[in-house]
Amino acid sequence: MKKLFVILALAALGVVLLWVVGKMPEMGDSRTPDKTHVVPRYIEDGVKEAGAENLITDVILNYRGYDTMGEVAVIFSALCAVIALLDREKRGVSRSAVDASQVRSSRIVRVTVRILFPVIFLFAVYLILHGENSAGGGFQGGAVIGASIIVFTLVFTLIESTRDIPLTLRVILESLSVLTFLAVGFIGVFKGVEFLTYILPGLSPGVAGALRSQVFMMSIEIAIGVAVGAIFTSIVFAMIKEENFELEPHIPEP
Amino acid sequence: MPGRILIILFSAVGTVFFLGGTVGILRFPDLYSRLHPSTKCDTLGACSIIIALCLYSGLSADTLKLILIIFFLLLSSATCGHAIGRSAFKHDIVPWHKPGVKPLPFEGEEN
Repeated sequence: MKKLFVILALAALGVVLLWVVGKMPEMGDSRTPDKTHVVPRYIEDGVKEAGAENLITDVILNYRGYDTMGEVAVIFSALCAVIALLDREKRGVSRSAVDASQVRSSRIVRVTVRILFPVIFLFAVYLILHGENSAGGGFQGGAVIGASIIVFTLVFTLIESTRDIPLTLRVILESLSVLTFLAVGFIGVFKGVEFLTYILPGLSPGVAGALRSQVFMMSIEIAIGVAVGAIFTSIVFAMIKEENFELEPHIPEP
Repeated sequence: MPGRILIILFSAVGTVFFLGGTVGILRFPDLYSRLHPSTKCDTLGACSIIIALCLYSGLSADTLKLILIIFFLLLSSATCGHAIGRSAFKHDIVPWHKPGVKPLPFEGEEN
């Protein structure tokens, strides 16, 4: 009886959803409101209103600035949740399980990572700095930074990584993105315009004004990149299982 | 015209290796033998397709980027294959052998 009810309810829901899908405009229909109003506005006034050459950056940082700030906060709260569950890594007390395994990384892997690590990091910096004008941006660059540090940590040990990127430094970097976003957003408020406006009154829309808005956007991008990188690094560090390091005979899994 | 033939040749070679690699990953019995086709995909398959792209795009700034991609692809995927195989060997994962056939001696095995 209960099962029948569930099936009926699901069927009704499915019918409603299919009906809605049938009512939706066709893919690429040029008469929908988003094509007639939103897109022309972005294309025609985007650079003037938002202040970046790249329209996608305009949308992400200005028209949907709240959304992006929410994403930054989501990543930060993910870190908070991980730390609440797993705690921070304890530096100097123990060594990572990666190290405790008898399988040490081979020389080939170590040399390759040593060659690749700076290049990956350079690419991340390029992504962050170039995000304003072309493909890339803070989130992508931050993810690449995080990935490069994760590779480094897996090959060399956690103890090496935490020596170079200590906890005290990461605590500052992790919160950087939300704070910078808020700070830059409130500059607009104090100047008498909306929150998260990069083109401020009193600035001529010429070169100087463009430069100013670019500085704001760039600082947000850099802060997002650095913070996302630090947050990813901290999450992985917290997840690496630490044990007191003893060289026991390795027991193969059955 | 000969350029176009070269482009077609290189991309065909790449596609064939990708196809072989995919079938190999699906069909081979264990980790060690699967490692063999999967690394072919990345090195020979992807590199031939990128060489075809190089020829297609002509001499420009993109060519340099593509060549850099080839370089890093060769470096990282070969190392990756090595690391996976070595780690499996050190963790005493025994290679597959045909049922009914006496397996070759495996050093990691304890008996």
